[in-house]
Amino acid sequence: MPPDSGLALTPTAAPRGASRPTDLLARGEPFLWGLGGALGFGVMMIAGFLLLVLWNGIATFYPRPIHVVTLVNGDVLAGEPTRTESFRPPAAEVAALPPSTQVTVATKLGFADRTLYRTGNFDLYGDDFRWVTDYAIARITTPPDLYLFERLEWGPFIGRIKSVDLAGATFDAGGIPLERLAVAHDEARRRWRQIREIEHDEIGRVNQQIESERLALRKMELGAGAHTPEYTDAAGRTEARVAAMTREYEGLAARAAALKAENARYTIALADIKGREKLLPLAEIMRFYPANDLSIFGKLGVYVSRWGEFLTAEPREANTEGGVFPAIFGTFAMTLLMVIAVAPFGVITALYLREYATQGRLVSVVRISVNNLAGVPSIVYGVFGLGFFAYIVGGTIDEVFFPERLPNPTFGTGGLLWSALTLALLTVPVVIVATEEALAAVPRSVREGSLACGASKWQTIRRIVLPRAMPGIMTGLILAMARGAGEVAPLMLVGVVKLAPELPIDGIFPYIHFERSFMHLGFHIYDVGFQSRNSEAGKPMVFVTTLLLIALVALMNATAIMVRNRLKQKFSGSQF
Amino acid sequence: MQAPATPKTQTAPLRPKTRVTRRSVLIADRAADWTIRIGGLAIILAVFGIMIFLIHVAIPLFLGASVTGHIQRDIPNGAGNPRFVAVDEYNTVGVLIGDDGRVSAFHLPTGAALAVNNLDFGGGVATAASRTLDWRDMAFGFADGHVRFARLDPTAGVIAGDSLPPGLTRLANGDSTDGRVVYAAAPGGQYRRIGVVVATDAAQPVAEGAAIVAIDYRVGGTIERPSRAFITVDSKGVVRLSSAETRMNLLTGAARTTLTTATLPPLPAGTQVARVLFTANADQAYVADAGGTVYRYDTRNLNAPVLAETVDLLPRDARLSAFGFLIGEQSLMVAGTDGSVGGYFRLQREGASTGDGYKLIRAHDLAPHATAVTGFGASQRGKMFVTGTADGLWIRHGTSEQTLLKLSHAESAGGRHVLLSPRDDGVFAFGGDGKVDFWRVSIPHPETTLQTIFGKVWYEGYAEPGYTWQSSAGTDSFEAKLSLIPLIFGTIKGTVYALLFAVPVALLAAIYTSEFLHYRARALIKPAMEMMASLPSVVLGFIAALILAPIVETWIAAVILAVVAVPLSLLVAAHLWQILPIDWALRLDGAPKLVMIFVTVALGVYLAALLGPVFEYAFFSGDFRAWVNGSTGRATPFLFILVFPVSFLVAQLATERLDLPWLRAIADRTRKDGAFAMLRWLVLLTGSAAIAYGIAEILAALGADLRGGVVGTYVQRNTLIVAFAMGFAVIPIIYTIAEDALNSVPEHLRAASLACGATPWQTATRVILPTAMSGVFAGIMVGMGRAVGETMIVVMAAGNTPILDWNVFNGLRALSANIAVELPESVKDGTLYRTLFLAALTLFVMTFVINTAAEMIRQRFRKRAFQL
Repeated sequence: MPPDSGLALTPTAAPRGASRPTDLLARGEPFLWGLGGALGFGVMMIAGFLLLVLWNGIATFYPRPIHVVTLVNGDVLAGEPTRTESFRPPAAEVAALPPSTQVTVATKLGFADRTLYRTGNFDLYGDDFRWVTDYAIARITTPPDLYLFERLEWGPFIGRIKSVDLAGATFDAGGIPLERLAVAHDEARRRWRQIREIEHDEIGRVNQQIESERLALRKMELGAGAHTPEYTDAAGRTEARVAAMTREYEGLAARAAALKAENARYTIALADIKGREKLLPLAEIMRFYPANDLSIFGKLGVYVSRWGEFLTAEPREANTEGGVFPAIFGTFAMTLLMVIAVAPFGVITALYLREYATQGRLVSVVRISVNNLAGVPSIVYGVFGLGFFAYIVGGTIDEVFFPERLPNPTFGTGGLLWSALTLALLTVPVVIVATEEALAAVPRSVREGSLACGASKWQTIRRIVLPRAMPGIMTGLILAMARGAGEVAPLMLVGVVKLAPELPIDGIFPYIHFERSFMHLGFHIYDVGFQSRNSEAGKPMVFVTTLLLIALVALMNATAIMVRNRLKQKFSGSQF
Repeated sequence: MQAPATPKTQTAPLRPKTRVTRRSVLIADRAADWTIRIGGLAIILAVFGIMIFLIHVAIPLFLGASVTGHIQRDIPNGAGNPRFVAVDEYNTVGVLIGDDGRVSAFHLPTGAALAVNNLDFGGGVATAASRTLDWRDMAFGFADGHVRFARLDPTAGVIAGDSLPPGLTRLANGDSTDGRVVYAAAPGGQYRRIGVVVATDAAQPVAEGAAIVAIDYRVGGTIERPSRAFITVDSKGVVRLSSAETRMNLLTGAARTTLTTATLPPLPAGTQVARVLFTANADQAYVADAGGTVYRYDTRNLNAPVLAETVDLLPRDARLSAFGFLIGEQSLMVAGTDGSVGGYFRLQREGASTGDGYKLIRAHDLAPHATAVTGFGASQRGKMFVTGTADGLWIRHGTSEQTLLKLSHAESAGGRHVLLSPRDDGVFAFGGDGKVDFWRVSIPHPETTLQTIFGKVWYEGYAEPGYTWQSSAGTDSFEAKLSLIPLIFGTIKGTVYALLFAVPVALLAAIYTSEFLHYRARALIKPAMEMMASLPSVVLGFIAALILAPIVETWIAAVILAVVAVPLSLLVAAHLWQILPIDWALRLDGAPKLVMIFVTVALGVYLAALLGPVFEYAFFSGDFRAWVNGSTGRATPFLFILVFPVSFLVAQLATERLDLPWLRAIADRTRKDGAFAMLRWLVLLTGSAAIAYGIAEILAALGADLRGGVVGTYVQRNTLIVAFAMGFAVIPIIYTIAEDALNSVPEHLRAASLACGATPWQTATRVILPTAMSGVFAGIMVGMGRAVGETMIVVMAAGNTPILDWNVFNGLRALSANIAVELPESVKDGTLYRTLFLAALTLFVMTFVINTAAEMIRQRFRKRAFQL
């Protein structure tokens, strides 16, 4: 305390200041906690969401044990426990319980726990999931001889191997040679893949050729008329060629039939937990494993093999099983095409705004347009894409170039090209904004230097400005891709389908089929989750697809950031 | 050597003057200039192009009809007194049937007569006639009380061009005839074979010795076993409902018809019956007298038919001149000699004095003609019909009440018989002066007007006019109900509830991040929140609908409790924090405090989950879903939950400045400010809870019950779920923009405020927030724009029920979701297709307004921030 503070007021003033900390009201502690709480809630919401997707997506393919559940009423079931939840059993059900159980339920305020078992065997039970309430369970065992068979049809089968018939050599439950079975299974699967290749690829190619012959003839008929000598001539030649192709087709069909006959000799007889039998051709089984008798490496093997199938195979069973390769492929193809379409448009608009336009009313209209383009709901783009691109532009293309296929539309319906263009329109603001920022960041001195050296305006832009703005443009393009890859609503109108057997890019001329419908990861989620027979059976698939889509979008976002940083470094060396 | 060189080097800078810029550079420059300018302006084209295209597709909905051709012909062989006119579905052959059974058919474009048999009336002249809606089956009543059935079949078929029979007479535009049948050119080099074959059945005696004055006829059953029903009124006023079933003997091929007849309760003596109608399933019969009085019979029990209702449908001085059903046999159109046209249907009305509880209600008043209506013809495809008068024909629509087309036929004598051709693309009229008129018309969207899309419409069978969206159903006579109002309402409802959840969370989080969060934590949290903005909404929709919805359904009480429990636990924690000695509090400020806050939120959620069932017992008699249905419990609990926060806030604000000197004195002496603040807060809390409960009780006693309003029947996929999922999509957007706005408030304002002794809290609320307000508001607007247009979340999680209902536990159907679901199935250029484009346009306009407003506010904010 300063020595000259002997004045009347100061001594009282100083202790008051010291003894009274800031007014609690001014600190606003409860409000601060409210603000922080909101942030905490938001962060936890997001973290919880990501964890949910991550956990479910990663854990789905890991093989689970098979429980054999004996119920209090003597019923038996075998299945993989899927999840557990609390629920409120109906009052009538509770009333029928023994008194001790009733007390337990009452203490939990009417709630009880139950477990969802995936029992499989849809063909036998008509359902592949079953809820079992905890109080209904008498005993749970995990016998080692239970197998899970993933079948091509009807979903999984859970049960025991009853007997095996390997091309005449039969074995009973006691002495099944597992290694020999595994080898026979691999071979049967290999033959199955051959059959598929023949039926899908080769016969498909022949059919396509026959179809294109027919169309060529029809085109000729439309052009020259049906009664001209040229037409009759062409018809004769077409007939000969089609006959040759039909012979080729028959040869292929015979080959496939031979393989099928061979496969039919390998069968396996299965029995479910109650002894109901089911005979299956070995080739119809994707994989099988003894769920309760599997080492950690065995489990990891199944896990990896399932991921492999998921990423590379085609979907089965109304998309609820198998893989999503066509969807991955479709998403990539559409997104790439979109970027090709959006890049020039976005960059040109940004160049106009930054380099060419004189600030004024016109530029502000352009800016309002860009902002509105960014704010228009995506579904509106879908409506526009369908009405304008597919029906009007596509319809005109069909009339001019593909009259022989009418009334079947070629370009006159949703397809890859229209989807890409629609999404390009949707994402163009992203590119414009990013490019503008990048152009603004190029120092004025660089431009002036170039112009002073005698370069023309375009030369300056092309050689000096654009290369320096490239990181920003790339970032914008990648962000546009991330946005486009996650967008589903407009695609539902302009070309996405639940199942597209033919990829938009293949080995048949003209290699890239712009008019084809395609599959998309986002739509796959919607379709499997909401349109399939059994949403519970599709759930694992949806979770993995969700994980994949989120990973894809996150990867693109991360790449955008990385590219920006990398290119920034590269160009920072030449800073003036 | 060097000296002479010097002047040369000095001129060197001038040398480039002689070099010319390469032509290619100039061209490239010019080309780039043009390309970029045009490309840049193309963006305007894109936005306005989308809008104009949407308008272009939607606008034909509101355009009326147009006439594409008119033909007038003299009737070739002058059938005496035509009873019926008919035309085939390609508008090629016209037919007139006289009351003496004479049939004349002719090629419509040229008037060339076609040979056709006459109906066999046995020399009689029909006194009454009726036919089915598709015109193929006719019934005639005669003066001797007999009834004859006849059938008119258009022989239609398609034959290849080279199998045309030889010796045809050429008619107009590629049509030709062999005298009986017209071969009309069809697309693809083929020919349509169109002719008319008529057949008459033997007479059936119905009324003994009394002339039939009115008859109505329906045909059902199969071709092998047709069942025919008809209703007749004879000159003595006896009404008979008869059904005839024909059985074919498979061995002999002979047909045997059995006739069963029920006589309806008698009409008042002297009734002059003008028309009689009944429904195809024979449950209702309507007898109309000439003055417009209608006797409605309930004939569901044929053994005991009753007269259900007698009602006057016309003003006193008018006489009935047209009376008929529209397709579906629910709407009854009545027209009189005064030119009035009205639509009625039968509705179940409480306290109706009628025999069966139904009443005929006049639902539609259509524009009246100036003169008496003389003819009426209903469409076979929709609710369209045509009315004829002496000076013109009007094509109208029964539900939308609009007059689509007014045709005048100055040269002919009016429309005594009028009809719409089977495809609704032509109107055929016979005027009685020996001339027929045929107009080719194009009426693409008769059912839509601005009123039907944005206003209330009274649809058949609905108790009152309303806003309805129902675009498809299983039956042919179904009428699409295309009101956009339920969809716009759904969009607004979803947006409002989503913003109610998202705005507080996003704004509070943004303020905290910008003003109170350590910059390192901020560098971590902000990008994470921003990443969420690019999360595909299909993923959010999936998680919300398939994972969240079932969980929330089970734990609904806990979810409601959490809304209270989380803020409450934060407040408790904050007051506990205040009790901490100030030096501790300062030391722990920062990361430990943030962690504490997070833990408190988690604790609040956990507590809510733990206490959810107890809460449900205490507040909602143990079953929330039964409670919201109104079947159990009282209104008070929910009112209390809503009133409590309000009363607490009011109490807080009222006592905030209240200085209690004695309390302050004790607090000063004991240096336990925090403890006293807590005490005071607890008193406030319990006090306001008590007050809130009192208010809730009083409100409940006054009859306030939110059940049926904002809460009601619980469905699994509901607005609560949508709001939560949409919150996920919207929070990152609002958060980012608001945080940017708060952050861009100049640092010197912050510094000045703190230097003046304001606490960070005071600085944030009194300096930063007001300055950044417009930017924050723009963030909310942009978030709103996103919520309005969000599609996949709504498609998946909203249940898609198009209802007008604020109930947060019920679903909704948004414009966007509706487009996504219905557009893929709609027919190009159909009414639904165009209506969905109109829906897209509505969405476009909504977001356009919101985004433009947001952009303007944001620009104002930028200007302001720049000035500071």
